Amino acid sequence: MYLLEHDAKTLAAGFAIPSPPGCLIGEALPPGPWVVKAQVAAGGRGKAGAIRKAATMAELDSHARAIGAMSVRGQRVRGVRVEQDVGPAQEAYVALLLDPAAGAVRVLMAEQGGVEIEQQAAVRAERAPLDGIEAAVRRVGAGLAPALTEAGLALAAMFRACEAVLIEINPLFVRADGSWLAGDLKLITDDNALYRQPALRALVERNAAAYPEVRLKLEHGFDYVVVDEAGDIGLLTTGAGLSMMLIDELRARGLRPYNFLDVRTGGMRGDPARLIRVLEWIADGPNVRVVLVNIFAGITHLGEFARLLVQARAAVPRLAVPFVVRLVGTAFEEAEQVLGAAGIPVTTDLEQAVAKL
Amino acid sequence: MIDRTTRVLIQGITGRAGRMHTRLMRGYGTNIVAGVSPRAEPVDGVPAFTSCAEAVAASGATASVAFVGADALLGAIREALDAGVKLIVTPTEGMPVHDAMAALAAVRAAGARWIGASTPGMAVPGEAKLGFLPEVALAPGPVGVMSKSGTLSYEVCYRLVRRGIGQSVWIGVGGDPVKGTRYADLVPYFAADARTRALVMIGEIGGSEEEELAVALRAERFAKPVFALVAGRSAREGVTMGHAGAMVHGDAGSWASKRAALEEAGARVFGAVAELVEAVAAAL
Repeated sequence: MYLLEHDAKTLAAGFAIPSPPGCLIGEALPPGPWVVKAQVAAGGRGKAGAIRKAATMAELDSHARAIGAMSVRGQRVRGVRVEQDVGPAQEAYVALLLDPAAGAVRVLMAEQGGVEIEQQAAVRAERAPLDGIEAAVRRVGAGLAPALTEAGLALAAMFRACEAVLIEINPLFVRADGSWLAGDLKLITDDNALYRQPALRALVERNAAAYPEVRLKLEHGFDYVVVDEAGDIGLLTTGAGLSMMLIDELRARGLRPYNFLDVRTGGMRGDPARLIRVLEWIADGPNVRVVLVNIFAGITHLGEFARLLVQARAAVPRLAVPFVVRLVGTAFEEAEQVLGAAGIPVTTDLEQAVAKL
Repeated sequence: MIDRTTRVLIQGITGRAGRMHTRLMRGYGTNIVAGVSPRAEPVDGVPAFTSCAEAVAASGATASVAFVGADALLGAIREALDAGVKLIVTPTEGMPVHDAMAALAAVRAAGARWIGASTPGMAVPGEAKLGFLPEVALAPGPVGVMSKSGTLSYEVCYRLVRRGIGQSVWIGVGGDPVKGTRYADLVPYFAADARTRALVMIGEIGGSEEEELAVALRAERFAKPVFALVAGRSAREGVTMGHAGAMVHGDAGSWASKRAALEEAGARVFGAVAELVEAVAAAL
């Protein structure tokens, strides 16, 4: 889960990682001048004009309105944070991130941060096991401003406690007196660990609109993402990789899928509730004109799935669009009978199904 | 790898998934010799024990498939390693990544091989399967398969099998970021394996595993044709699509980055299943 900056900074305060005084728009403002910052789970906000300075209330208002209506890298801005502009400081860089290939954590530091940090030669780095991050921070930070090591040690505690996969402070404001503040803080945590991360779970519950996919996964145990709000093909699919591939292939043909779904037929346990919920969500798509069902079932009994699908479709009459169904797996003939009786044609060939859309 | 004589134990054999897949794997020919469960009651004629140590002592198992919950998976892997198991396959989805880091360190220290987590399993068609790769997509043949995604690999292999092309070894490495076995780890095996005449890699956006594979292919001077499919070309940054590893940050892990790296290493990269299947069929 890619946390909004405001949420990441609020959490970080509990790990003695200070940020410039700030709030969400609408709350009591810190003293000016200000920096007005889009809250969105994507990088490149500065380049996109989604971070702006404001000296007066009028400027602040107009920036906040403009930024609040923006999208950054295809994602709608989820909120606006207003932060005190703390003035000149050295801008450094400290990060901890998962190194999947090594099964370790990379500790990164540079005395000069900035937007093109990946291209900088002066970034120092070392790999460490989870229980060795602090020692690596001390080695990497040796000879640099002490603020970098202090920030790195605080990040190490937060990395483990929040079960992070990435924490990055860029820029880290280092003042002349040696004190430091997180100018920006990027935090990505492990969705799989949410079950034992009550603080993160509470955050998702409080701000469900900002984390819709995580919220859905927590509540329902499967993945659903609206990929194109104007899309006209609803997808009822299982398997993350196959569903992603299907979206790619449909788009390559000029078609517009509405959603991604990994419904996990194994988790339905003979109850149509999950299918009904998904069809309700697809029915929310204003342009959806057809639903493509694609189930490649290693284990799921297709006869049972077909019965659940017929029940679910009947339970969501407002989704009055044709269904194109492709199934592979056990008891296909039974599924074909059940769906045929309900007037739904079915094929085993995905290319044939796509051709009907 | 594995064959029909490999002695396999099932951790969590009395659970719903454990029972079902024990039956299905035995039906395929897998030599399941023991199970582990707190209840220690036999399943489908397979004796069960309360610990891996007892199960291994009684049965001589060298491989394990663990059907346990994500919260119990790290413990199950440690228990299997302590009992001397050398190949562990873990289909469980949702393993916390910090647990996976600890498990990987333990597996390396023990000199064992771990396939997973979030894997549909592995198979040597005609010999044995560990996990739940669907039989409709399994057939002996010349293609080595490695995949992050279960269902997408089913789709590809199903279509290849309908064209008369089966697999030498099929390994689902799983979609998690930290995992027991990565594509690159398998390159020396597929290079040396006489049954394998071509390699199919089924990848997806996020992480750097496809890029690591490209480096390994070059380092190995891999001479067999490599066909790659990468899902998620049209995904948005910052949103996880089902797999914990499938998230793009900036340009790292993007479709373009993966295609460029793989093509530089001599692989052919496809944007659609049908195109890959046609190319493999034409080459073999």
